[in-house]
Amino acid sequence: MSILEVKGLRKSFGAVTAVEEISFTVEAGEVFTIIGPNGAGKTTTLEMIEGLQFPDAGTIVLNGMTWDKDADRIKMIIGVQPQSSAMFDLLTVEENLDLFASFYPRSKQTAEVLEMINLTDHRAKRVKALSGGQQQRLAIGLAMISDPQIIFLDEPTTGLDPQARRNIWDIVLKLKELGKTTILTTHYMEEAEKLSDRVCIVDQGRIVTLDTPAKLIDRLTKEREVRLFFQDGEAAAQETEEVAKSRPSVVRTALEGSALKLWSVQPEETLYDVFGFTKEKGYRVEQVSIREMSLEDVFIAFTGKEWRD
Amino acid sequence: MSNGKQLGKLFGAQIKMMFREKQVWFWNLFFPIILMVIFMIIFGGSGNSNFKAKVAVVKPSVNETSNMLESYLRNVSVLEWKSEQTVDEAQADDWVKNKKVDAVIVLPAAGATTLDLIVNKENERSATTQVISGILDQFIQQTNYAVAGIQPTFKVETKSVSGGSEDLSYVDFLLTGMIALAVAQGGLFGMVDMVEMRRKGLLKRLKMTPVKMGLFGVGGMMVRLVLGIVQVLILTLIGVLGFGAKLHVDVSTLIVAFFIGALAFNALGYLFSSFSKSIEAYMGMANIASFLMMFLSGIFFPTSGFPEWLLPVSKVLPLTYFVNGIRDGLAYGSGIATGEFWSGIGILGAWGLVAFVLGVLIYRRGKVEVR
Repeated sequence: MSILEVKGLRKSFGAVTAVEEISFTVEAGEVFTIIGPNGAGKTTTLEMIEGLQFPDAGTIVLNGMTWDKDADRIKMIIGVQPQSSAMFDLLTVEENLDLFASFYPRSKQTAEVLEMINLTDHRAKRVKALSGGQQQRLAIGLAMISDPQIIFLDEPTTGLDPQARRNIWDIVLKLKELGKTTILTTHYMEEAEKLSDRVCIVDQGRIVTLDTPAKLIDRLTKEREVRLFFQDGEAAAQETEEVAKSRPSVVRTALEGSALKLWSVQPEETLYDVFGFTKEKGYRVEQVSIREMSLEDVFIAFTGKEWRD
Repeated sequence: MSNGKQLGKLFGAQIKMMFREKQVWFWNLFFPIILMVIFMIIFGGSGNSNFKAKVAVVKPSVNETSNMLESYLRNVSVLEWKSEQTVDEAQADDWVKNKKVDAVIVLPAAGATTLDLIVNKENERSATTQVISGILDQFIQQTNYAVAGIQPTFKVETKSVSGGSEDLSYVDFLLTGMIALAVAQGGLFGMVDMVEMRRKGLLKRLKMTPVKMGLFGVGGMMVRLVLGIVQVLILTLIGVLGFGAKLHVDVSTLIVAFFIGALAFNALGYLFSSFSKSIEAYMGMANIASFLMMFLSGIFFPTSGFPEWLLPVSKVLPLTYFVNGIRDGLAYGSGIATGEFWSGIGILGAWGLVAFVLGVLIYRRGKVEVR
């Protein structure tokens, strides 16, 4: 049995439909990531699963339980880290953990959680005195204090520097080792790829695609945009374009003055061929770039639309 | 965890939070203390016994009448002469204009029978002027009787009386008013945490845990009652030790008034928090409420001096009844047995109940923001 089953979720606020149709299942022990632009309905979906919002239609089953019948029992098995750092600013790290622990009949040892979120040295600091990353780690610590089966992390790394982000990843991976189920939302494709077993892309309240990161990335990396700038002018670029076009891996090309753009499913191989030609001809290539895939590209690839922010 | 233990934890955490917040210290303790001290010094410092008015006496001509009046005036102990001797009119005028003296008394010129009192226009209606004029009236009357050889048959002797004790002074009135105001403000402003908790998503976060929000609220209420008791104790100590306030405490009256009042004003604060989107909005509302009531509920001055059309307003405000209740319990040493006390407490309680119910309804109806 799946630990979380979401079927036909729908929610509107007045004239605005935040969630149109969302259905998915999450297996126990999985890290399940939801990505999508702002306003896609990620947070609303999460809040419905967390019991904060009541869906207009659809069902949510958490480990065989539903909110209308088993609210109190569900609260025992879920842990939530919301987007805003919702904790008591005037209490210390340890006091926050102790207080939240007191809400539950059973809870983890505070020391153990402190160790896991790597805040043992800062246990006596007030929340106000913590850095953004430390606050976020404490928020995750508060989510896991009751030793829940399902942990919800809503954009835990947004606004953090790379090091702080990596620290959060470590915690998520530790949770996975412990066999916890994690539902994660993020803006970063890289993060989704590193952490999750499956990724679900939502837009305008619907699921656009849902798969393992490997498969998603595989699909995404079919075409990569390669840019070459020729010092010897348009003619050289044009000639090279003809050569590139003849390669089976090149899907299409475009010429902008002495700059050549080409889309290839195997960019390394294509470049190797292109450089073979330019060397033979003695053309000088000034700038070469392969554009990195971003969430924007993922989004464009799957929805055929511009990124709305 | 049992409810009792849980409540203990919540109380402990919230009391730590309250005492770590510097704003709480300032607004709930230092501000009322400063306000009280200022009012005490300005209005409460001079009891009738040590009242002194500084005067100058002008004697336009030397004659029997003026000499007699001068020597009598010298015996009036509350009049302090700026100069040992009588002065000329120009000098006296100058002193009045520069407020070197409270008043100038001009003795009658030869053949005249009028005694003039000259005061600065600014002070025309001041208490000091009234007192000097009163003293002079009485003085002249007695002199008239003496000259005519009449022994007055009737005499008026003024004694102040109040509800309970005979020696109730303005200091006691002000002290009890300040205590009520401080506790009321503690409630009106105290719910700012709720706005902040909602803004930060902490209320939502707590709803996702099994904690009972009711217990959380009770814990917070207990913390505010503790703060209220601290306010009462500190202000009372300062009033009694620093300004010689004399209290007549009726413990049961005080306890009933304090609890109902504290609950009612916290309920008002809770109502404000239910529809305040930001801390600024909440503070604005609490400030308006607190300022209106501060002056219309008889905290600093009795409401009896108000124009008639204003009285009904004062009769509606909860602080009016709270301050009456606190005065019953702290200064008059009476109240619990009177119907007036209980009707006041009833009105106060009704305010609290209505505010609380409205607050709960608004919180329930309020939708969570969408992103």
